[in-house]
Amino acid sequence: MTSTLEIQSGPTSSAVREVRVAIIGSGFAGLGMAIALARRGETGFVVLERADEVGGTWRDNTYPGAACDVQSSLYSFSFAPNPGWARSYSEQPEIQRYLQTTADRFGVREHCVFGADVTSARWDDASRRWHVTTAAGEFRARVLVSAAGALADPTYPDIPGLDTFAGTVMHSARWDHSHDLAGERVAVVGTGASAIQVVPAIQPVVGSIAVYQRTPAWVVPRTDHPVKSWMRLLYRVVPGLQRAVRAFLYLFREFLVLGMAKNRRFLKPVARLARAHLHSQVRDPKLRTALTPDYTIGCKRILISNDYFPAVAAPNAELVTAGIAEVRPHSIVTTDGVERPADTIVLATGFHVTDLPIAKKICGRDGRSLADVWSDGMISNRSATVAGFPNLFLLVGPNVGVGHTSMVYMIESQVAYVDDALQTMDAEGLEVLETTPAAQQAYRDLIAEKSKGTVWLAGGCASWYLDEHGHNTTLWPDFTFRFRRLTRKLDRENYVGIPAGATSEQPEVAA
Amino acid sequence: MSGGTLVRRVAAVRTADGAELHAVVDGPDDAPVTLVLAHGWTLAQAAWDDVADLLAPRIAGGELRLIRYDQRGHGRSTWGRYGDDVSDLSLDQLGADLGELIDQLAPNGPVVLGGHSMGGMTIMCLAAARPDLFGDRVRGVALVSTSAGDLAPAGRTLGERLQLRFAPGMVTAAIGGARVLERMRQLLPPTSPRHRKVVRELLYGADATDEMVVAGAEIMHACTVRAFAAFYPALGGHDKRTELKALQSVPVEILVGDSDKLTPQRHSRQLVEALPEARLQVVERTGHMLTQERPQRVVDVIGRLLSAAVQDRTAA
Repeated sequence: MTSTLEIQSGPTSSAVREVRVAIIGSGFAGLGMAIALARRGETGFVVLERADEVGGTWRDNTYPGAACDVQSSLYSFSFAPNPGWARSYSEQPEIQRYLQTTADRFGVREHCVFGADVTSARWDDASRRWHVTTAAGEFRARVLVSAAGALADPTYPDIPGLDTFAGTVMHSARWDHSHDLAGERVAVVGTGASAIQVVPAIQPVVGSIAVYQRTPAWVVPRTDHPVKSWMRLLYRVVPGLQRAVRAFLYLFREFLVLGMAKNRRFLKPVARLARAHLHSQVRDPKLRTALTPDYTIGCKRILISNDYFPAVAAPNAELVTAGIAEVRPHSIVTTDGVERPADTIVLATGFHVTDLPIAKKICGRDGRSLADVWSDGMISNRSATVAGFPNLFLLVGPNVGVGHTSMVYMIESQVAYVDDALQTMDAEGLEVLETTPAAQQAYRDLIAEKSKGTVWLAGGCASWYLDEHGHNTTLWPDFTFRFRRLTRKLDRENYVGIPAGATSEQPEVAA
Repeated sequence: MSGGTLVRRVAAVRTADGAELHAVVDGPDDAPVTLVLAHGWTLAQAAWDDVADLLAPRIAGGELRLIRYDQRGHGRSTWGRYGDDVSDLSLDQLGADLGELIDQLAPNGPVVLGGHSMGGMTIMCLAAARPDLFGDRVRGVALVSTSAGDLAPAGRTLGERLQLRFAPGMVTAAIGGARVLERMRQLLPPTSPRHRKVVRELLYGADATDEMVVAGAEIMHACTVRAFAAFYPALGGHDKRTELKALQSVPVEILVGDSDKLTPQRHSRQLVEALPEARLQVVERTGHMLTQERPQRVVDVIGRLLSAAVQDRTAA
């Protein structure tokens, strides 16, 4: 494992490496794509990974308490079930180990180039190749698959004076494990999915903890429990049982879509559950009020936790609802004029989701970057392709996000779609495959139509699901099985293909 | 560090037996005097919020440091060694807790103490157990709607005597059935008019607004059945009438509402008998929740105590 790493990493040569497919990122999406290629015998591909290990989001988010909000039996590759999950909801180390062993098991680690932070990817129309420049050398690829992910680059809030803070500042996604929080006065900024996990994990060891909340989250009980050893054995002996559990969990979670995207009435029981949860865990009337959301449940991601409320109601904790006015070298001042001394600031402020940073680095046919083309909001065909960017496929790009179920299900749907596109190219002898502006406009209209009246748009909240224009460009606003059906096969009619050898002046137009 | 802001920190004070007391410290550590406020039975530090709000400008101005805390078993504070068995719980424990809190959060400099109801009894217990603390360290005490003892007089009628006899059993039953009782309490939340009426009649004076009553009722509603039941016999056992000597060495201000039904005026008059130097004020049209009903009156007496405490220091 390490030997492969040493051979593959670093700027080994100045020569440009020719590959058929270059995949950016080795998280669930990148590995899923790589495994799909490897399983059908493809060898001419590389996985460009900026870090020195596979895993993506699950490698980077090592903060205390990091865990998945979806049961592991569902949050895993369908082709690589793991009967050995120790808990129903796995914690980060176990998920990361799963990704590592899965990468090894399907032999894709040898395709990984580590330390290959992509600095730019340009489409060269003359050679009909993607030129990918990375920290570990240059690559020329016929097809580029961006699996850089949505929860990849941390967002740092624009708080006056944050750079003058004399203590430690760390983002939850870039946790500094060498920094000991014991006895410290810790400020946690944010109350999203990361904060809700990190707060109860550090509250017992810190001296005091102040949680800075802008909007309270809806929190429902977490049905997490260790998986009994006889159950694990049963899963091993009867693989069909775990598949059945997986199917049940999938269907159960899909019911939430009824409430979120179809009729918000169906969310009422969920809201009642969340309110009862808060009531049973927090007695203090003021704290209870501060923790009660004023928007429809589901508008922001529904969080699950049994220990977040008790942690903010602990004797050494304080929930701060006033906005942060400024950070001073040793304290945080809120808009109500209260100043709280702090030794460490933990930023649980999320990721660049609606402005995917990789988009700045990918430039299409006319030299414009994807970010530039997307300045009015992310647009794509089938969440995978963009007109003007031939032979580029996006995984975990626009409108594939889900808050209620397993992202891996969406990723596998996308991988199947991209794989079908690649096989179509091979079968038809196409050197270039590019979607049409009309197709992506139609897809945008479809998303807008589906999003109308959903809880994300009409739930009365500002969430990271919506872009700066208030459009849903991140979530798939329907049942996930509909996305799978939509992306089962390449919609060949929405693509223009150029056969190898043909000039771009006489493109072979879609069927 | 201040500069017009109010410096605030939260501290969990760990007592010798492992309880954690939730304290909120407002004001700079180098303030000339520290004010510590102790709340009453089934309440929480929020009972002092109105007083704290009035003091805020002076805290921000660096004139004092204010410590509010939740008593053991109340608010966010834990039970410590009484987690399983409350049978030997007495108010002396609360006095010891206050002592440890002062040792840890205000280890030096002058201190003024304010106690409402059971919080006042807490201060008396501290004075009885650690008289040396009073005079040099603790330089002033405000006792609001409180008592030195005799809260559960021997029954005069047969019914009262029977009630007393069975009280311990009732307490045990209440703690044992706390879950069920908690459920039942939810049926009549503070928002219901009947709940408010009961609370108003028992605890508030004629001028109390509905907001005051609801705020107080919500604080008490947040208190556990366990705390209610566990401290009930402890209050009955409170008697420090002959152990108040230490309080004679510092200025003491006593406030009581004229319509206080829980700790009626006679309790405050008993206190003045034991503390002839103390200053007693009976506040008109006011019930037991004086800190909420007349926060300005409380701030006035506390202000006098604070000034005296700081003057003492400059003199010494």
